[in-house]
Amino acid sequence: MTTAVEAAQSEFAAIVGATRVVADSAVCAALSVDGRTPRYAVYPTSPEQVAAVLRCAADHDLAVIPCRSATKLGVGNLPRRYDVALSLKELNHVWHYEPADLTVTAEAGMKFGDFQQFVGRDGLWLPLDPPGGPRGSLGGILATNASGPLRLFYGAPRDVVVGMKIATTEGKIIKTGGRVVKNVAGYDMAKLLIGSYGTLGVIVEASFKLFPLPSERATFVLPAGTLGIARDLRRRILQSALQPMRMVLLDAVAANLAVTGTPLAREVAEPEIWVEIGGSARVLERCARELDELGKAAGAAACRLEAENADIAWTRVSAFRTWLPEGFPGVTILKVTLPDAASEEFLSRAQQETDNDKVRLASFCQLGVGILHACLLEAASAVGLVALIRRLRTAAQDLGGALVVEHCHWDIKSRLDVWGPAGDDFAVMAKLKAVWDPKGILAPGRFVGGL
Amino acid sequence: MKPSPLVHELTRLVGPDAVLWRPEDLMLYEYDALSSALQPQAVVLPTSTEHVVSVVKLAVRENVPVVARGSGTGLSGGSVVTEGGIVLACARMKKIVEIDVDNLRARVQPGVVNMDLSLTVSDHGLYFAPDPSSQKACTIGGNVAENAGGPHTLAYGVTTNHVLGLEVVLPDGEVIHTGAKHWDRPGYDLTGFIVGSEGTVGIVTEITVRLCRKPEAVKTLLAIFDNILGAPRTVAAITARRITPAALEMMDGFTLRAVEEAFHVGYPMDSAGVLLVEVEGLREAAEENADQIEAICRENGAREVRRAKTAEERELLWRGRKNAFGALGRISPNYYVQDGVIPRTRLPEMLEFIEQVGQKYSLRIGNIFHAGDGNLHPLLMFDGRYPEQSQRAVKAAREIMTKCVEMGGSITGEHGVGVEKRNLMPLIFSPDDLEMMQKLKDVFNPRGLLNPGKLLPGGKMCGELRIEASTGGML
Repeated sequence: MTTAVEAAQSEFAAIVGATRVVADSAVCAALSVDGRTPRYAVYPTSPEQVAAVLRCAADHDLAVIPCRSATKLGVGNLPRRYDVALSLKELNHVWHYEPADLTVTAEAGMKFGDFQQFVGRDGLWLPLDPPGGPRGSLGGILATNASGPLRLFYGAPRDVVVGMKIATTEGKIIKTGGRVVKNVAGYDMAKLLIGSYGTLGVIVEASFKLFPLPSERATFVLPAGTLGIARDLRRRILQSALQPMRMVLLDAVAANLAVTGTPLAREVAEPEIWVEIGGSARVLERCARELDELGKAAGAAACRLEAENADIAWTRVSAFRTWLPEGFPGVTILKVTLPDAASEEFLSRAQQETDNDKVRLASFCQLGVGILHACLLEAASAVGLVALIRRLRTAAQDLGGALVVEHCHWDIKSRLDVWGPAGDDFAVMAKLKAVWDPKGILAPGRFVGGL
Repeated sequence: MKPSPLVHELTRLVGPDAVLWRPEDLMLYEYDALSSALQPQAVVLPTSTEHVVSVVKLAVRENVPVVARGSGTGLSGGSVVTEGGIVLACARMKKIVEIDVDNLRARVQPGVVNMDLSLTVSDHGLYFAPDPSSQKACTIGGNVAENAGGPHTLAYGVTTNHVLGLEVVLPDGEVIHTGAKHWDRPGYDLTGFIVGSEGTVGIVTEITVRLCRKPEAVKTLLAIFDNILGAPRTVAAITARRITPAALEMMDGFTLRAVEEAFHVGYPMDSAGVLLVEVEGLREAAEENADQIEAICRENGAREVRRAKTAEERELLWRGRKNAFGALGRISPNYYVQDGVIPRTRLPEMLEFIEQVGQKYSLRIGNIFHAGDGNLHPLLMFDGRYPEQSQRAVKAAREIMTKCVEMGGSITGEHGVGVEKRNLMPLIFSPDDLEMMQKLKDVFNPRGLLNPGKLLPGGKMCGELRIEASTGGML
C-alpha cells in the first residue's frame, strides 16, 4: 500500500522536476525538526512552483515546513507532523533593483549576506543584523521578523518591507503592498506574514526600502562594572544627543565568548556596553568625546575599537546564534522582550536564578530596544531546566514582558510551550490561520497556542 | 421630530449627552475633508471602551452599520456614512492614559489629537513622529485607521512604524488586546494588520505608541527654482547622494502664490517652484547635511536657498506648507486632491505628465508633493456648479493615478482607499489579492457592519459620494 506521501512524490516531481524532489536520508536528516525528519525535500525554482507545491501538499494533506538555510528552523513547538521540507534555496533572483530610488525586490531564498553584498556595491544596505547572520535568507528573516541590535536606530524587518508576494496553500500567489516606499492601498497583509514562522503562507518575494551606508562608523566599548552602572550608562547614552545605531550590554561571559578567536580576544571580567555610531569624522569625534565624559561620570573608560575589529565584533555579537551552539551543544537560548528600562532588572534576576541553579548564563542585551537573549550554556537536567525557564518567564512577565525559548533540546519542548501563554487575541489569530491554511498543513502545531 | 427607537436605546446605553440625532446635528457628520455622503441615523460620542462595546452590541442586534470617526479630516471618504447607521465619534475619548518616559511609550485613547500628544510630552524632549498636515485637528485613532503619514515620515516612518499595541472592539462586542508595550509579543502581528485597515475590522479604543526623542538640531531650507523641473531633479540628486533628510517637500509656483496670498509666510511670488527641506540630528550632522543639500540645490538650478535662522522662521515656512490645501481652497470653488506614489526618480517625468493632463482637460492643477518619498498630491481645481467640470476632474485624476501605477507606484500613499479609491484597487491588485483581503476582513467583520463600502471594491452604495472639498459644489 502506498502512503499519501509516496503517492504525492510523483506529483511534486511533475511540478519541480524529479531531481528536485530529494528523499536522500542525509538531506532529510539535515532538515529534521525536533527529531522529526521529512520524507523528502522539494526544491521549487519559481514562485509559481512554490504555490503549486503547496497546493499539491494541501490536496494530499501533507505537512510542510518551509525553509532555506535552516538557521532558525528550530524555533517553535514540536511539529504535530512533518512530511515535506519545502526549500526556497533556488529562489535567488533580484528584480527591480533601483539604487537611485533606494528600493529593491528580491526572492525569498536569497542569502542575506549575498544580498548585502549586492546592494553594498552602491553604498546601500538593508540595516538589519539578524541572529542568523549572513547565512540566513531574506525569507527566513521575514518569516521570523529577525532583528538584532540595529533595531535601535533602523527598526525591524517589519519596518523595511514595502511589499511582498506570498504563495498560499490554495496554490495562488498573493501580492500585498508594492515597490514604492509609501503605500496604504489595501490591507497590510505583509505584517501578518512577517513573524508568522511559515505558518500562514510562504513568502516568495519581498520589496524593501534600502538605506545609505553611514559614511563612517565607530564602535566604543565601555566597561560597566555592575548592572547598576550599566543602567546608569544606558540612560545617559540614550538620553544624550548622540544617536547610536546599535548598543548592547554583554555580561562578562557573553563578552568573553564574543571576542574569543577574534583579534579582540582578551580576558573580560565585567559586563560591557558596546555602542556603534555612524556619521562623518567630525560627528564621530564629538561622539568619542561625549561618550568618554559619560563613561567617566559613571566610572568607566570608553575605548574605541579599530574599524576592522569592530566589524568582526558586531558580527559575532549580533549573529551569536551561528556560533554559540557549536561551542555549547546543550545551550538553551531564551529571547526575552520587555520594556527597555526593565532590562537590567531582568538580568539581575536571571543572574540570581541561574546562580542558584548553578547554570552558567551568557546574556546579550540589545539596549534601547527591549530585547535580550539569555543563554543557559550547560544542560542541567531537563526537569531542572524547565523549572528554571518557567521562573525566568515569570520574571519577564512580572516586568511586563514575555519569554520565548528559541533554542533548546526538543525534550524540553514536550514539557513546556516555547512561546508562552497566548493572549485574548488568540481566537482571531486562530481564525486567520484557518483562512490562510484551512487544512493546517503549514508547520502544524509549531506556532503560538499550537497553531 | 421625535427620536427613533434606536436613539432611545442608545441614550439608555450612553446617556443623552452622548447621543446626537437631530438632523441639524447629524448634518455635520455627513462629511470628511474630501467628500460627503449620507446622514447617519445617530451619532454617539463615547467616553469609554464600555460605551463602544455597548453600542457595537446594539448595532449588531439591530443590524445597523457602525462607522468610527475621529475629527473627520480624512481625504478618501473613509469615515463618511454610505449605508446609514451609527457614527461613533471618538472626540471625547481623548485621555492620554499613560506616558512612560523611560521606555519611550504612551498609551492614548483614540480621540487624542495628534499634536496634543507631542505637546504633552514635549517637556521630556519627546514627540510623536507621524505628523499629518492636519495634525492640529486629526486624532491618533484616525491616524491608526488610515496609517497616516506626513512630511517627516520620510525619515521616521508612517503610523504603523510607531504603534506597538491596540485595544480593539470587534463587531461582536468582544474586546481584544493586540501587541504590547514591548516589541515582538509572540503571535501574529495583528497590530500591524489593523493599522491602516480603515475602520473595517474593529474599533480601536486604546493605542500604545512609541515616542521619539527630539533631535539636537534641525535645519530648514527653502530652495527656490525658476524652472520647476529643477526641484524634482534635486530630489533625485539628494536621494542618489545618500542623504536622508527628515522632510523633503515640493510645491509648484501656482500653489506657492496661493499660499503666500493667504498666509504671508514669505514665499517668493515669482518662482516656478520650491523645495522645503529639513535635516535633523546632531548639530554637526545637521550642518553638514544642510551644506551638502544647499550645494545640490544650486547644482540643479536653484536661484536661491534660504535657511531658517530661528524657530519662528522655521515655523513660518512649515505653516505655509501645512496650510497649502486650505490656500488653494480660497482660489477655487472646489479641488480634488490625489495621493499617488511613484518611484522618486520619476518625479520630473510625472510633473510633465501632470502638466499635459491639465492642458488636455483644461484644468488648473496645483502640485504639493512629499517629494522625498515620491508621494504626490496634485490638486485638481474645478467648479462643482458645472457638472461637466467635475467630470473632467475625475477623468484627469484617473489618468494621473493610472500613470502612477504604470510607473510601478501606488494609488494612495497616506490618505487611504476609503470610498473614493476602492474602485481603483483592481489597478494594482489581482482578483486573488482582493479575494484574500475580503476573507481576512470577514474574519473580523463577517457581517460587514463595520464601516461598510470602504477599502475593497464592489458593493453598492445607497447614496452618492460627493467630492466637495472647500466650498460646496459636487463631483
